[in-house]
Amino acid sequence: MVKQFRNMAMPYIVWMVAIIVLPMLLIVLYAFTDKGNDVTTIRFSLENFARFFSDTVFMSVLKRSLYIAILTTVICILLGYPIAYAIASRSERSKLFWILLITLPTWINMLVRTYAWMGILQDEGVVNHLLGFLGIPPITMIHTTFAVVLGMVYNFIPFMILQIYTALTKMDKSFLEAASDLGANAVQSFLRITLPLSIPGVISGITLVFLPAVSSFFIPKLLGGGQYVLIGNVIETEFLTSGDWNFGSAISLAMAVIIMVSMYITKKVDTDPGANGRRE
Amino acid sequence: MKKLIQFKNIVKDFDGKLVLKGINLDIYENEFVTLLGPSGCGKTTLLRILGGFLTQNEGEVLFDGEEITKVPPYKREINTVFQKYALFPHMNVYNNIAFGLKIKKEPKDIIEQKVKRMLKLVNLEEYADRNVTEMSGGQQQRVAIARALVNEPSVLLLDEPLGALDLKLRKGMQQELKKIQQEVGITFIYVTHDQEEALTMSDKIVVMKDGEIQQIGTPTDIYNEPINQFVANFIGESNLIDGVMVEDYFVIFEDKKFKCVDFGFNPNEKVDVVIRPEDLDIVPRTEGKLKGIVKSVLFKGVHYETLVETKVGTSITVKMMVSDDRPVHNESANEKISANDFYLDMEDVEKLDEGTIVARADAQAWDPETDEFISIKEISYSIKKENGSYPVTFSTAAGTSVTVNMIVKDENRIANKEYQEEIFAVNFFKKADEIHESIALETDLKTWANASAWSLEDGTAVEITNVKYAFDPETVTPGTYNVTFATEGYEYKVDTTDRYEIGNEVGLTFQPEDIHIMSKDN
Repeated sequence: MVKQFRNMAMPYIVWMVAIIVLPMLLIVLYAFTDKGNDVTTIRFSLENFARFFSDTVFMSVLKRSLYIAILTTVICILLGYPIAYAIASRSERSKLFWILLITLPTWINMLVRTYAWMGILQDEGVVNHLLGFLGIPPITMIHTTFAVVLGMVYNFIPFMILQIYTALTKMDKSFLEAASDLGANAVQSFLRITLPLSIPGVISGITLVFLPAVSSFFIPKLLGGGQYVLIGNVIETEFLTSGDWNFGSAISLAMAVIIMVSMYITKKVDTDPGANGRRE
Repeated sequence: MKKLIQFKNIVKDFDGKLVLKGINLDIYENEFVTLLGPSGCGKTTLLRILGGFLTQNEGEVLFDGEEITKVPPYKREINTVFQKYALFPHMNVYNNIAFGLKIKKEPKDIIEQKVKRMLKLVNLEEYADRNVTEMSGGQQQRVAIARALVNEPSVLLLDEPLGALDLKLRKGMQQELKKIQQEVGITFIYVTHDQEEALTMSDKIVVMKDGEIQQIGTPTDIYNEPINQFVANFIGESNLIDGVMVEDYFVIFEDKKFKCVDFGFNPNEKVDVVIRPEDLDIVPRTEGKLKGIVKSVLFKGVHYETLVETKVGTSITVKMMVSDDRPVHNESANEKISANDFYLDMEDVEKLDEGTIVARADAQAWDPETDEFISIKEISYSIKKENGSYPVTFSTAAGTSVTVNMIVKDENRIANKEYQEEIFAVNFFKKADEIHESIALETDLKTWANASAWSLEDGTAVEITNVKYAFDPETVTPGTYNVTFATEGYEYKVDTTDRYEIGNEVGLTFQPEDIHIMSKDN
């Protein structure tokens, strides 16, 4: 039986190797070689990495990308947690309705939704028109940090809400009864029981928001305009405009390592919550 | 002793279904009270109302003389040990136990002192730093008790706390809980469906059923003087017999007058008589107050549970006519057909239909080579509602046919006044082969004889438990045989240390104080 199932997985494994593993290996190969290689001559070098890390322009782009991603993640937690908590404490049927409402926008292509935000935030857009009616002078919103962060929060917050919601609904309600029984009021119960037990949901929410936010390139491109360059845009340019695949691969690889390290750290925090095995 | 908790006419419904129907109960200081009853009796609901997790629809709960219905759980001087413990999984043992004290913002050193004392009380001193999810059920149980007791509540509520533990651990924890209760000297309110648990630990047992209190009393009271059938059956095994209280201290059951210690009933009042299995003794037949036959013996570990039948139930004997008739063989169509004569009750003639006739005559046709059944296409008969014999012919499509007789006669039923039962069965014809081939003869005999029994009081069916016959089904030859059908009679469970053989004729004896009388009204 087991052997049969193993054979059934073969096409899937072949497919995965062809479409995921091979391209990854190619990126690694490109990153560590010089421009102008052909099949017969491959020259290994660390030139691409040296160029990336020594150039102050690239470094400031990297810093800005991380800043935007972290800002987006923090806003997603601060907004998403109360929303998830409110939904989780509703009745079974209204829970389903609200979760549907949260996930509904993700059924539409992300690019289309971002274009919609362009229309809303434009100097001549909906928001400024409304402000005009109220006699308030127009505000420049498009092509600012505000627009980029808004676009990212809008696109990625459903992931955060769903993760926290799942963690909250999975929690055994008898813990709250026990806390109340032991003298904790609603606020104390939340701080000491609900919040710590929902942290794993927040952590996986962070992963799901931070990863796409740090590498996103079309949101900054559309809402940030040409001058608002993030690391994703740099990689896109290297591959599509400059045609320097080696340098582009090196930046991608460097980002991948940074992301892997940050994920490792969050995992560590997740599996070793402060209270366990230690006295406060 | 002081009344600590008073439930006054508590009513609670869930979606219109009443789960508590007006509970009145007083609980005193330092008592170990058990709420005992089958699942769904409302015992946990009552406990949760006291804990503050549910609110009653009607009635009031007084704690130390004050109404506490509107007091939230976290302000009540009551702590709970939950059914599944509800230990906080993100905290270690120490922090779980310290939770309540930290909420009260007690000084650190005091907390440490108190938690250590609790760990000692529940024998978990070594486990302070252990993660609760890594502990066994018994250990988690102790943590839950310690976490509740450390707050020094005046009442501890325990909701089936030993339900998840295995038998041996449960026995140990029962003793430990009782010890802890005596040591800390507070009121324990314990919910369980395990009568043995209730009997071993409690000062007071409250037996509940369907949202109502059946009886309140000490374990000995409840065991020895159950107030009604439900309590008697729920608390331990017992024998329940219908009886009549002729006068104070005298009861009649099984047509005999016995001395007992009960009084205060109306003359000739119908009562339920309870005799516990351990109060009955088996003696030689001549010395017994009641005489009977050993019907079954079950080994129960320390004793045998011996079932003694003192009187058979309502019985009826019918004749079974065994023939060795061969089936009709139609060689041209290559078919065989068979059927047998049968008796019909006069009452049944009106309701007679073809399906019944086929079943009662056991008519069947088949292909002798393949053994496949062939359907019977035609049934011709004429019958009158008079005693007599009426032919019926069964034929297949190919024309193979057999004719048998339906014999109509008066009802054959026997009524039994003492049991208020009636039993019915008819004589029947059978072929020797069919008896040889029967794989469940008793059931087949009941079907063939159309045997049934019912109560004369309300018409409900009564099971026929005994089928007696004096032939060997393997070798039975053509002839007439008696078959007796009977309902269950009086049976007594007796706990014995000796093993008696099934079929032994024995006597039963008991003392006047072993007879417990319950009024039928409850």
